[in-house]
Amino acid sequence: MRRLEEVLRDWEAVIGLEVHTELTTLETKMFCNCRLSHDDEPNTNVCPVCLGMPGALPVPNRKAIQSIVMAGLATNCQIMRRSMFYRKHYFYPDMTKNFQTTQGPVAFCMHGYLDLEVEAAGARERPEWEDVAGDGKTPLSRAQDGSYVAPIRILRIHMEEDAAKLVHVGGEEGRITAATESLVDYNRCGTPLIELVTEPDLRTPEEARLFMEKLQQTFRTLGISDCSLENGSMRCDGNISLRRRGESALGTKTEMKNINSFKSLHDALEYEICRQAEALEEGGIIYQETRHWEPARRRTVVMRVKETADDYRLFPDPDLAPFELSDAFVEECRARIPELPDAKRDRYVAELSLKRKDAAILAADPAIASFFEDVLDGAETGLAPTIANVMVNLVPGHACLQPAQVRGLAGLLAEDSITFAQAREVLDLVDGSDADPVAMVDERGMRQVSDAGALEPIVDEVLGRCTDQVQQYRDGNRKVLGFLVGQCMKAAKGSGNPKLFNKLLAERLEA
Amino acid sequence: MSSLDELSAAEIAVGVREGAFSAEEVARAALDAIDQREGEVAAFLQVSNELALNVARATDAARLRGEELGPLAGVPCGFKDNMQLLGTRTTCASRMLENYESNFTATCVGRMLAAGVTPVGKTNMDEFAFGSSTESSAFHRSNNPWDTTRVPGGSSGGSAAAVAAGEATLCLGSDTGGSIRQPASFCGVVGMKPSYGVVSRCGVVAFGSSLDQVGPFGRSVGDVALAMDALVSGGADPFDASSQACEAGFLSALEAPVEGRRVGVVPQLMEMEGLSDEVKDGIRLAERVLEDQGAQLVEVELPHIASAIAAYYVIAPCEAFSNLARFDGVRYGYQEPGCATLDEQTARSRAHGFGEEAKRRQLLGAYLLSSGSYDKYYYPAQQVRTLITQDYLRAWGSCDVILMPCVPRCAFKFGEMSDPTQMYASDMFTISNNIAGNCGISVPLGLGPDSCMPLSAQLQGPAFKDQSLLSFARALERGLDLGRGLGAGAPVAPGFAKRGGEL
Repeated sequence: MRRLEEVLRDWEAVIGLEVHTELTTLETKMFCNCRLSHDDEPNTNVCPVCLGMPGALPVPNRKAIQSIVMAGLATNCQIMRRSMFYRKHYFYPDMTKNFQTTQGPVAFCMHGYLDLEVEAAGARERPEWEDVAGDGKTPLSRAQDGSYVAPIRILRIHMEEDAAKLVHVGGEEGRITAATESLVDYNRCGTPLIELVTEPDLRTPEEARLFMEKLQQTFRTLGISDCSLENGSMRCDGNISLRRRGESALGTKTEMKNINSFKSLHDALEYEICRQAEALEEGGIIYQETRHWEPARRRTVVMRVKETADDYRLFPDPDLAPFELSDAFVEECRARIPELPDAKRDRYVAELSLKRKDAAILAADPAIASFFEDVLDGAETGLAPTIANVMVNLVPGHACLQPAQVRGLAGLLAEDSITFAQAREVLDLVDGSDADPVAMVDERGMRQVSDAGALEPIVDEVLGRCTDQVQQYRDGNRKVLGFLVGQCMKAAKGSGNPKLFNKLLAERLEA
Repeated sequence: MSSLDELSAAEIAVGVREGAFSAEEVARAALDAIDQREGEVAAFLQVSNELALNVARATDAARLRGEELGPLAGVPCGFKDNMQLLGTRTTCASRMLENYESNFTATCVGRMLAAGVTPVGKTNMDEFAFGSSTESSAFHRSNNPWDTTRVPGGSSGGSAAAVAAGEATLCLGSDTGGSIRQPASFCGVVGMKPSYGVVSRCGVVAFGSSLDQVGPFGRSVGDVALAMDALVSGGADPFDASSQACEAGFLSALEAPVEGRRVGVVPQLMEMEGLSDEVKDGIRLAERVLEDQGAQLVEVELPHIASAIAAYYVIAPCEAFSNLARFDGVRYGYQEPGCATLDEQTARSRAHGFGEEAKRRQLLGAYLLSSGSYDKYYYPAQQVRTLITQDYLRAWGSCDVILMPCVPRCAFKFGEMSDPTQMYASDMFTISNNIAGNCGISVPLGLGPDSCMPLSAQLQGPAFKDQSLLSFARALERGLDLGRGLGAGAPVAPGFAKRGGEL
């Protein structure tokens, strides 16, 4: 098969996503008072309502509606004041009533969008001459490095209930094929689920990956879900079709399932684009089918072929009256929305003078952002870029740091008392303890000497014995300065300030 | 104590409270009556002897402890077998649920128990409430206590028959298109369908969720008022999103005079094909009784009412198809043994668990909801529903209640209605009430001169004007002597059988 970037020069990939998110932060299920939990013993959080026992009736969870309205507002959706629940029928043991309560043509949230920032490396997947976004009208302007911003339209976000979990025993990878028995755990049945459907505006696997990432960041910041792709609280199906460059008619699409990481999403789409292109180029046809991504074999395989459209006999749920959301309710939801990642990033750049990239990384995850702000609390504003640097480059990999420790460390770095390498060492030492990095550095004598008078003899000694390098420098090889700094550091047994050595050496050599 | 038959619910409750007789004595009398009469009437699917005696003894014990007893203390009460009651099976008269043990108690049943009733058993019905004769019960038919060669009506036929035969003082039924009022009419008792949302549906096995409503049967309007007070006490049910708070005080509003209030009559309805002369005469009598008390008759129009049956037989089967989808034999209910695949098990369990009418309605619903049919049938049916609701809203502008027949003629004989569509058509006077969510009640008028069978009048009222409706029903009862004296309510069958013409 040809490489993705080559394929995408001849073919346009049209990608849409359906993203299911469990509202894991709620206490109870969508239509009953059963506890939400991922870890409890199977079939312990059940009642007549979620088990679909005769005579049991659904009562909607107000907090779930609040969550979906917040999700809609955060993704620029129109909040529909009138919408209804519908029943979608199919016979399968994962749905106790043999219908799923979901929404019909009008969802709580309609017609939103997210702006996607595609950075240089990922931007290469899109041919550089393409100048319109997936919505067919927004101009795609590229920065010098090739990065671009594309709006991705959201068709709708609707509310529904999750099905039970089927556990197939005895088959391959827990799949039903060749399984000897199937067990049903109804704990998940009735979990509040929001389904977001994008317009087919995505054009590359990288865009799809970034969209999911941004959605995860947004929903986590809203606090409506833990959004775990691994545990399945956030699930993504990708619909994809190809068309020849310049054509407007859509090709036949396939649907991708079993995507449980951002990498899987990217790689499954990449594989599928290349597979479809190869089939089409060989004169074959694409069947409308559901395909299963096998991460170990890095390929998609057919799950089932859709010959006819399923008839779900959708009709308004007669147990649940139509919703009339009041202005007050929507405003209450709006007021609950915390600062979202993009706004937070921009604020960090504007108020704290962070590098945009650092700011984006810190703002993306609400837990990280909150830790960062705890570190910042009590520090001088001027220290913020150093703290951000530490947060982005040193803190990952350290599980039990305290904000004060990071703050202390950043202070040491900012005043050039330790090197970056030393800083990493200090973090390793204080992680999981109450130790103060400043005290630690002093105890161990790690503080760098920044007194020129103390360093000058060392500089003179090094220049005296490295005559070859001095000559090379004077001949124009400025790179040799690094070697000389290294020699000074070695002579000072690591305790000299490398910046100061650099300065002193340069002064001497230029004199 | 005097014969149980002779006592109203209020008299029993007062007697128990004051110690004139014990709840256990009343329970034993009711169980004896059931023992004697069930052979002919067959109103019950289960008689809960032990449960009844335990509850009655608990009532007596509470009295001895000096606790205040409920307004229905010791009153024998039966429940339609689509209502969950812990300690009984809830079968819906279906093989599908033949051995289904209730796993909680329905709110309506719980509220009756809280008011003090003694639960004597679960009454027969058409399977899953699909029918108008109780003939579609998977277990046995029930007979009309006035003439056992005739049907008791349906689908709450067992409940109506039990009250008419004096086996229970009160029963609960459910009404989706007339299933309380029609059997009440056939059996000569009072049967009320409250407005949609007045009584919780929680724990009542659903047929048509947007149409179903639970209501009481009694031999007098007063007994029904007491039951209504019990059913609405406690306000809206947090476990039924469609239930709403409804003011209690039915009993105290009962004797409100009807003088100067307006009774709507619909001339078009009196011209309906198939309406018997007996029934027409009965309605004329009811008009006179109400007029004599100063009520004013006004003519009103319900121009779309003829379309109600068509709309109903689209909406109700669609909802039934959906509500009954859960019966697949996987978690509970009938499961076909020895099936190789899940699909086969589901198909065979449903094929063998459901009876003919239940299958017919679900197939109809599955067809009507399928893509293509939905726009052609379901959507227009909902539009018709809106039109009928608007017809009523206009009518309420000029009257407080509407008086009309409940059924076109008296109870028919077994096997007489073999064509299902003919059976469906007999619901023409009751269905529009469910379609619009209004309240309705069937009030007995005595026995017909030709048929010697009970006749009735139906009163319908605006949604949530249930108390006003009941006061008109009481006015009608007040002006009639059905054999027990003027205004004393209906007598027990068959003591008064064959005494037709004594209207």
